Amino acid sequence: MKIAVVGKGGSGKTTTSGVLARTLARQGHSVVALDCDTNPNLGISLGVGDDETERLATMRQTLDEEGIGHAPSWDELIERFGTDGPDGVRLAVVSRIQNPEPG
Amino acid sequence: MRIAFVGKGGAGKSTIVGTFARLLARTGRDVVAVDSDPMPGLSFALGLPVIERPIPDDAVVEKAEGTEGPRYRLRPGLDATAALQAYGALGADGVRLLSFGKTRGDWGDIIRGQHAWSQILDELPHDRFDLIGDLPGGTRQPMTGWSKYADVIAIVVEPTAKSFATARRLSSLRDSKWAYHHVVAVANRISEPADTVTVAQRSGLRVVGAMPFDEGVASADRLGMAPLDGAPDGPFVAAVAALVEYCVARFDGSLKSQNPIKEAVA
Repeated sequence: MKIAVVGKGGSGKTTTSGVLARTLARQGHSVVALDCDTNPNLGISLGVGDDETERLATMRQTLDEEGIGHAPSWDELIERFGTDGPDGVRLAVVSRIQNPEPG
Repeated sequence: MRIAFVGKGGAGKSTIVGTFARLLARTGRDVVAVDSDPMPGLSFALGLPVIERPIPDDAVVEKAEGTEGPRYRLRPGLDATAALQAYGALGADGVRLLSFGKTRGDWGDIIRGQHAWSQILDELPHDRFDLIGDLPGGTRQPMTGWSKYADVIAIVVEPTAKSFATARRLSSLRDSKWAYHHVVAVANRISEPADTVTVAQRSGLRVVGAMPFDEGVASADRLGMAPLDGAPDGPFVAAVAALVEYCVARFDGSLKSQNPIKEAVA
């Protein structure tokens, strides 16, 4: 199954997603938690921790920088960009702001 | 003064901006509440119903083929002050709400309104109007120049790990995008004085205001009422009043002259 969690800022999307992902994983599902927010905090709610959440390479920026020639498949993306969180949930982050060019 | 409030979604930007703008207006100043959030929210805090009041398409005209400058400009004869009076909704305490319109489906629908909104903010006389801005939550829009009218960037921070992470990401813009702005933090929904210290430590910012969690504000919010109407004597309103006082003392007058980037752009 594929579930997208949406709603107003601060209404609990990230917290709900984190609990949902871990609960499904504990029931034996193989779960990918995909943080599509440009302000990505899902790692914090999954229990990966602040620092690790901030360190995770993001797909969009990394692939843009590499100027990759072919579109990678979903399993390559999850393998390369994912990190293993609690209960075996695989977390991947799409995008995050970067410190822009001065000026 | 020109202040833009940013921060994580749900941190309390709209509620603070609406209350701040109204309290500032009560001191006799001309205050514009600037809404660049495509979600409703600020209307409540200004005591207005949720309204669709986009700047109409005929406020602007398209530039002639082959000429320089933005694609749309305010139509001839319509200056920024007149446009504000024509298209800004009049809220409680005389605050003008200037919004470029809510998303009505296709993003293309609001491009004209956005151009008008942007030009009005660029050209409103600095010495006559205070601009208090409510930006969309998160980190995306602050990156795209929607805060350029501001002299002060206030990051609203709740005492939660996710709010701290957001504040640090926004704060990382200080040395480049916001190098010539004052960047400060406003703590919101604090439960104890130690929360304010934590906000300062975890955001790395100077905290210029601390709004306590206020059950009266939460109750008012359930009814769609502004804090100033539903919980006027509570600790939240008192803390926003203290922030207004601080900002008038500290940030009033033209900071714009200290901003070489803006001058270069202008």
